[in-house]
Amino acid sequence: MHSAFSASSAELRAQLTTAHARTAPSSDAALTALAALDPAAIAAWLLALDSDEAAAVPRARVARLAASVAESIAASPTIVPVTTAVDIIERYGHLLSPEAAKDLAFAARTVDDDQGLAVALDGALERAPANGGLLRAAADIAAARGEHSRAHDLLSRLARAEPTLATMQYVRGARSRLPRSGAQPVRIALLSSFTIDSLVPFVDLECRSIRLEPEIHVAPFNTWERESHGDGSSVHRFDPHIAFLSVAVDDLLPGLSTCSPRDLASDGAAAVDRLLEAAARFVSWSPAVLVVHGLHTAFRDPLGPAGSRHGPSRSEVMASLNGRLAEGLRALPRAYWLDMTEVLVRRRSGAIDNPKMRHLASMRIGEHALGEVAAAYLQFIAPLTGRTRKCIVLDLDNTLWGGIVGEDGPHGIRLGATSPGSEFREFQEYLLALSRRGVLLAINSKNNAADALEVIRSHESMVLRENAFSAMRINWESKASNMIALAEELNLGLDSFVFLDDSEKERALIRQALPQVLTPELPRDPARYRETVEALAELHVLTITDEDHSRTRQYIERREREQLRVVAQTPDEYLESLEIRAEIGTASDRTLPRVQQLFQRTNQFNLTGRRYELGVLAAKAAQSDWRIYTAQVSDRFGDHGLVATALVRMSTDAWLIDNFVMSCRVIGYGVEDALLAQIGADALAARAERLDGEIIASAKNAPARDFYSRNHFTRDADRDDGEWWRHTLTGEPIAPPHWIRTRSLNGA
Amino acid sequence: MAPESLLARMFGLPRRSITDATSNATVAAWDSLAHVTLILELEEAYGISFAAEETLSMTDVGSIKRVLRSHGVEWDEA
Repeated sequence: MHSAFSASSAELRAQLTTAHARTAPSSDAALTALAALDPAAIAAWLLALDSDEAAAVPRARVARLAASVAESIAASPTIVPVTTAVDIIERYGHLLSPEAAKDLAFAARTVDDDQGLAVALDGALERAPANGGLLRAAADIAAARGEHSRAHDLLSRLARAEPTLATMQYVRGARSRLPRSGAQPVRIALLSSFTIDSLVPFVDLECRSIRLEPEIHVAPFNTWERESHGDGSSVHRFDPHIAFLSVAVDDLLPGLSTCSPRDLASDGAAAVDRLLEAAARFVSWSPAVLVVHGLHTAFRDPLGPAGSRHGPSRSEVMASLNGRLAEGLRALPRAYWLDMTEVLVRRRSGAIDNPKMRHLASMRIGEHALGEVAAAYLQFIAPLTGRTRKCIVLDLDNTLWGGIVGEDGPHGIRLGATSPGSEFREFQEYLLALSRRGVLLAINSKNNAADALEVIRSHESMVLRENAFSAMRINWESKASNMIALAEELNLGLDSFVFLDDSEKERALIRQALPQVLTPELPRDPARYRETVEALAELHVLTITDEDHSRTRQYIERREREQLRVVAQTPDEYLESLEIRAEIGTASDRTLPRVQQLFQRTNQFNLTGRRYELGVLAAKAAQSDWRIYTAQVSDRFGDHGLVATALVRMSTDAWLIDNFVMSCRVIGYGVEDALLAQIGADALAARAERLDGEIIASAKNAPARDFYSRNHFTRDADRDDGEWWRHTLTGEPIAPPHWIRTRSLNGA
Repeated sequence: MAPESLLARMFGLPRRSITDATSNATVAAWDSLAHVTLILELEEAYGISFAAEETLSMTDVGSIKRVLRSHGVEWDEA
């Protein structure tokens, strides 16, 4: 086909060498012909262009030539020196198709040193961050060079850039050849009536996005009922932290399409009960959290639009069966219902079902829906692994309202019932709903405080008023220093924060300065703010307690207490003026979820860092030699709720504190000393001789480390298996703080 | 795109190592799930739909190319 052009290679090359031709060669056709005929010459020409000249050549032409050269080099790498291929990637890699970029990069690899290629790929990736070919090559080279965490990052980016089944499996395969990342491990079991293997790489990717190292076990095909028995089953041996059970409604009810809605109601109830029996069996032996898929079907109702005219339609029957399933699971410990209908309507594109794959491979969830299902799983996995963040820190201008209050004025900003402005109202309403279930809200804004407060206090469409925020920093300081101040005021770690700001620059600054803060991308369109925050798995919890509902109020009361501290003459006078009352009791069914939450979430005042599953705590609470102490605290400003708990093993001669945690909200009030004093008094009354405890230092529990030493405990010199402390009960008693009125409900 | 390129990308193999003889017996990662995924990728890449019988026979590159040609698919041999 090259013969179609009359010019010879030599003539074309001559054209290129003239100064004029360097930026404006005679024709596209001639260049394309030369690229195929003599790729080395075109490569040399491309590399000889300086950046101004390159900018003068139409981008599409450069891209076409670079692609042609890349293809030729990939097919026979010896036509140019390796350095030329590397240079092409460095300068033009971002213009290549993923396929061409990958082929060229692999052709440019050398046995001994890929440093130059790695740098070239980095440069190209800066300009084309989502080019799958560049990402594949860069990940492969990072892995070969032993840069494992970088390889993991690049593979995650590749999976996000090309979320197809093939790429997801490639990424998972490439990771399996890397050493473990050292991140917190989590074991996940998948039990299913259909082929669920294709979901595995999606769950893997989601877990890694919140710094977990997942181990995922898929139970053998359609063994969910057998596996639920435990006893030597593969899931039993695997010992998961969390298990997902997905049973397709057409596997449960093979006659789904042909039976009448009335038969569906009765057969369906029996089928749901089969699922519930399996779930009940599972939680009877496994301490894992169990998540059961709700029923959904991709098939349309054969009765069509007339279905609902003649009694309950199939959809209505399915909804009531799902209700029966959810209710049954609610009655079991650690069991959750996953609303599949809700998960599946949320996906952006693609069918719920791929009929071909259903028949060919027994898949029941189409490949386009797998990402959404995995994202839904993460909303359970994140809170289970302690990833829950407690506080959303918000910018104001163009984040909570449209426009800039300092320029547009309190009445010029966009916030109201119609667009532009209704987007922000909807976003605020969602944030308010989050705060009502325990997520704290705070402000970090560059503004004149008076302007901003005027909007917050008086704008008629403002949803979030002053009392919705547990802390505010509205000033001209850097946002990073404000963030640190907020962490101090709220007594939270920076890793408890999510930061939402419309400014790309501010987000970049916070990511750079405070990587512990989760700073998600916020879309340009405020209409999409809400769904962005909805999708953050790290804001979710598995149980919502009484304390969650009133958390914001408690922080505001805390602010009032701090104001009192300023006017008090001495610390003692301040503490006395608070009129603190502590009710000390043992955990009940009602308070166990809060106790579990405290063990799970507390990082600072946490003596040993041991966390317990709800099932473990329930079992301990029922045993006569264990006791779970709780302290409910209130003062003149309000109720703190259940803020401290201790798990104690009671032997005849000594009581042992397995772990003792206290919410950071009440650090500094002496509540921990009051609880310890009560445990000591109870142990003495039970005629024990000693109270023992252990301290396991962590990066965060400095506030707890002197707990035993300042309460008449002595270090146990006989033990070298950690830091052990003992207190002789017949000696000097542990004194409760004189400013706390303690009431014991144990009667011990 | 040549089917060899698609396989190379999917299994992370050099493009030139893929021949007509490359099959699910020679590529370790080509298991049953990968096979279904490969079918999906080929259908998407070439805008065609295979019959179930065809998908069962497409276990080596030579057969894949034969089936693709029978669907009228053409590609540049790089």
